[in-house]
Amino acid sequence: MSSAPPLLPAGFGDLEPFVSRWAVDGTARRAALRSASTVAEREAFFAAAGPRLDDALASLDAKAFAAYSPADQRLMDLMLSLAHVALAVEIQGPDEVRSAPWRDRMRIDRSTADEGVRPCSN
Amino acid sequence: MNDVASTFKRIPAEDLAWLGTNPVPTKPYYDPAYFELERQSVFLKSWIHVAHLCEVPEPGSFIRCDLEFARASLLIVRGRDDRVRAFHNVCPHRGTQLVDEAAGRQSKFSCPYHMWTFGTDGALLSAPDFDAFHVDKADCSLVSVRLEECGGLLFVNFDQDAPPLRDWLGAYAERLEQMPVARATTFAQYSYDIAANWKLTYDNFQENYHLRFIHPRSGGAGIGGDNQFGYPATMGFEGPHRTQRIWSNPAPDLKPFQRAAAMRGIPPLAEQGLLDLPYGRDYLAFFPNLFIIGTPTQPFSHTVYPISADRSRGVVRVYWVGEDRDASHRFAREYSVAQIRDIHCEDIAMIERGQNGLASGALKHMHFQSMEALCRHLFNEVDSRVQEHARRMGDVL
Repeated sequence: MSSAPPLLPAGFGDLEPFVSRWAVDGTARRAALRSASTVAEREAFFAAAGPRLDDALASLDAKAFAAYSPADQRLMDLMLSLAHVALAVEIQGPDEVRSAPWRDRMRIDRSTADEGVRPCSN
Repeated sequence: MNDVASTFKRIPAEDLAWLGTNPVPTKPYYDPAYFELERQSVFLKSWIHVAHLCEVPEPGSFIRCDLEFARASLLIVRGRDDRVRAFHNVCPHRGTQLVDEAAGRQSKFSCPYHMWTFGTDGALLSAPDFDAFHVDKADCSLVSVRLEECGGLLFVNFDQDAPPLRDWLGAYAERLEQMPVARATTFAQYSYDIAANWKLTYDNFQENYHLRFIHPRSGGAGIGGDNQFGYPATMGFEGPHRTQRIWSNPAPDLKPFQRAAAMRGIPPLAEQGLLDLPYGRDYLAFFPNLFIIGTPTQPFSHTVYPISADRSRGVVRVYWVGEDRDASHRFAREYSVAQIRDIHCEDIAMIERGQNGLASGALKHMHFQSMEALCRHLFNEVDSRVQEHARRMGDVL
C-alpha cells in the first residue's frame, strides 16, 4: 500500500491518469494546453471526464474555494481544462486544428478563475 | 416542416436605404493620410472607452492606459475624494512618464527622475529644492484629460470642447445603464494585435452575413430555421451610434456538454436578476470603436483601438457581477469566455485577408448589402468627419 495521498478526492480515482497532463492552473495555461495537445489526448480526456462533470462540480460546490484541499484544487483545475477541451472536441471537431493558431493570437490577459494563481498570459 | 420556421422577419432594405446604397471607397481602409485625418477628427474628438469603474475600486487605485492613437499614456486614478480622474502619465517637470506599472494602489505618485510627488487629485505635493524653480506649485499639477462614466464604463475625450458624455451617448446611455456591464465588479479579458485597419476589424463584428461561412460550428447556435444567415431581428441608429437586436433562434443547435455548461451559470444570473434585463439580446455600438452586448451569459465588450492605417489592437472583456461563488459558477464562466474566444479567433484570418486585398489597391470600391448597414453607417459617420476636417485644413482627399 502506498501512503501517498490521493491525487483527487475520493470517488474520482478514474480521473487520476489525467491529472499530470490536465490539472493546470491559470486560464491562459489551460487554453495553451488545449492547443498544444493532440486530438487523441483531447478525445480521451473528454470521453473520461465529460461524464464526471456533474459529480465533480457537486463535490466541489459543497466547499468554499479557500477550503479546497490540494486534491480538490486538482479536480477543479481538471474540470476547468475540460471546459476548453470540450469546445475542441464537441464543438470545433475537425475545425479545431485549423483554428488553433488564430486562437493562440488572442492572449488571455485575465479571468476570474485566475484569482490567487501565479501570473499567466498566453 | 419545422414549426419554428416563421420566426424571422427580415428588415426591409428600403428601411435602410437612407444610409445610401452606393459602393464605398476602399482607400479609407488602408491609406495612411486618411488615417491621420481620422485620428485627428474622430479619435481625438470623440469619447473613447478606456476602462471600467471596477478597475479603480478604492481611493488610490490606478491603472495606466496607453492609447497609441493619441500617442499618450494616461494615468486613471480614484482620488481620496472618491472621484475618478484621468491625467497624462507625464511629469510636468521635464516630461518623464510617471507610472510604469499597469495597475496598482498608492496614495501618491512620485516621478523617479527628480522625485516630484503628486496626490491622487493630480496636485503637486512636493518637489525637492522647489524654490530654485521659477514657477508656482499650483501650475505644476498633472495635466488632466476629460474622463466621464456611464454604465460603469469610463471614457476619455481629448477635446475640451466636446459635449458631455451623456449628450454624446444620447438615448443609448439609458440602455447601457441597464446592461450587465453597469453592475459588473470584475471581468475576464483577452486581446489581440491584428494587421488590419480598425474599421475593417470592427466591421467584421457588426455584420452577420459571414457567420454561416466562418463560424459554422462555433457560431452554429445563432443561425438556423428560416434565418440561415443569422441576420439581426432589428437595427437602430442614434446619432453616430447604432444597435442591433440579435435574433433569438427558437431551436438552437446546442450540443449536450455545451448546454450543460451554459446551465451551470444560470442560477447565479437568475439570483442576481440579470436574466430579466431589457436589453439582453442587444448589441450597442458606440462610435467610434466600442461595442457591447447585453447577453447575460456572455456580456462582453469589444474595443478596437487603432494603431496605424493597417494595424489595430482588439480588447474583449466579459463582464461579470460578483466573484466566482462556487465551482459550478467558475466552470460556467471559464467555458463562456473560451467559447466566445473560439468564435472571435476565426474572424482574424478573414479580416487580415481583407486588409491584404484592399491594400493592394486592386479595388477602388467595395460593396455593403442592406444587412451590412451598420458597416455602412460607421463609414458614413467617419467619412463625414474626415471630409469636414480636411476641408477646414485645406487638404484634398
